[in-house]
Amino acid sequence: MQLTATAPSLSTSFDEHHEKSRDAQNKADKWMIAGTIVIGTGVLGFIGFPLFMRGLHMLRKATREGLSVRPIICTLIGYLVIMDSALNSMGWAMDLLANHSLVNRLVTASWGALFDGGYYWHYNELGIGGAGAPGEKAWEIALIPTVFCMRLAAAIGFLQMKRWGHQWLIVTCYFGMIVWVGYNTNMTIFADVRFAHVTFPVIGWWAYDIFYITPFLSIPYLHTVNREIFTD
Amino acid sequence: MAKKEELPLGTIETYSNMHKWLRRALYVCLTALVIEGTLTFPLAMIWMGWPTLTLLEVCDEMGKVRWSDDDFKCIFPYPLFEKSEAEGQKTAKDKWGIQPTPGYRRIGYRDLVKFRDERLARQAANKAAEQSSLTNIQ
Repeated sequence: MQLTATAPSLSTSFDEHHEKSRDAQNKADKWMIAGTIVIGTGVLGFIGFPLFMRGLHMLRKATREGLSVRPIICTLIGYLVIMDSALNSMGWAMDLLANHSLVNRLVTASWGALFDGGYYWHYNELGIGGAGAPGEKAWEIALIPTVFCMRLAAAIGFLQMKRWGHQWLIVTCYFGMIVWVGYNTNMTIFADVRFAHVTFPVIGWWAYDIFYITPFLSIPYLHTVNREIFTD
Repeated sequence: MAKKEELPLGTIETYSNMHKWLRRALYVCLTALVIEGTLTFPLAMIWMGWPTLTLLEVCDEMGKVRWSDDDFKCIFPYPLFEKSEAEGQKTAKDKWGIQPTPGYRRIGYRDLVKFRDERLARQAANKAAEQSSLTNIQ
């Protein structure tokens, strides 16, 4: 009799905890997804940031209350990978597909004149337009539809705490390292094109771009996190 | 034991310090990406001479510097399916070789406004000189 009385009560308690945790996670994610989409536009980032931080605050509160929600560091990695991919893809997609729009000729070319001559030198002279620096178009075509799409998909799976998301984020973060090494080698070999008569050469480029370093920060975590927290 | 219970899910004691510093670095990257994403366009435009120059004039002046060509015009809206705006250009000053080196001028703070004023003054002086030589011939 006692067993039958206790069992439903325990079960309800677990169900309630599960329900509360899921609700808290969903509510926080709604704010963070909205914030990330707005931050991904670049110029509207200041509007997206408070939305994202509100979601993050809700998640921290839920963690402190003992609810079973996603760890903060996983949340930061997942969303930052999405932002990093979105910002990179947007700039490169504009250069590849909308290179004669006024906004692109202003933002990309001025960024090029300030930090990276590859986006200023002989700009819009190639038959397909956009950056004309040696190798640059090949990087864009290789990275937008492959690496960044894969990274976006992996980050979504990772935020859902799926095992494939964790595994694919490792794979695509190593892709990120290849991007950094390959891209910087290209810039170094053609350094005159990239940095001669540029307003803030080399150090300026690093100061601006270092914050896209997410893959290097993610890999140590992805290899040392307890993988049991991810599910099939 | 109590400390272990405070560790975030998925973090073991051995890596807790590393995870803490990674989390801090991720906060820095997040904030910096937001600031850069928001401010790059407006600050770059201010650097290039807006609002003294309109955005179309900024595009125009950047093109003039890039191609070392006073006659370059930034066409907007650019016709669809038209060939690239600079295809076949002959005015860019480069030192060609296996390591091409651009010959355009560096653009400092508000330099495009200065370049525009210098060009207008140069053109006005040329026009005045032409008119005076025509007067002399007559």
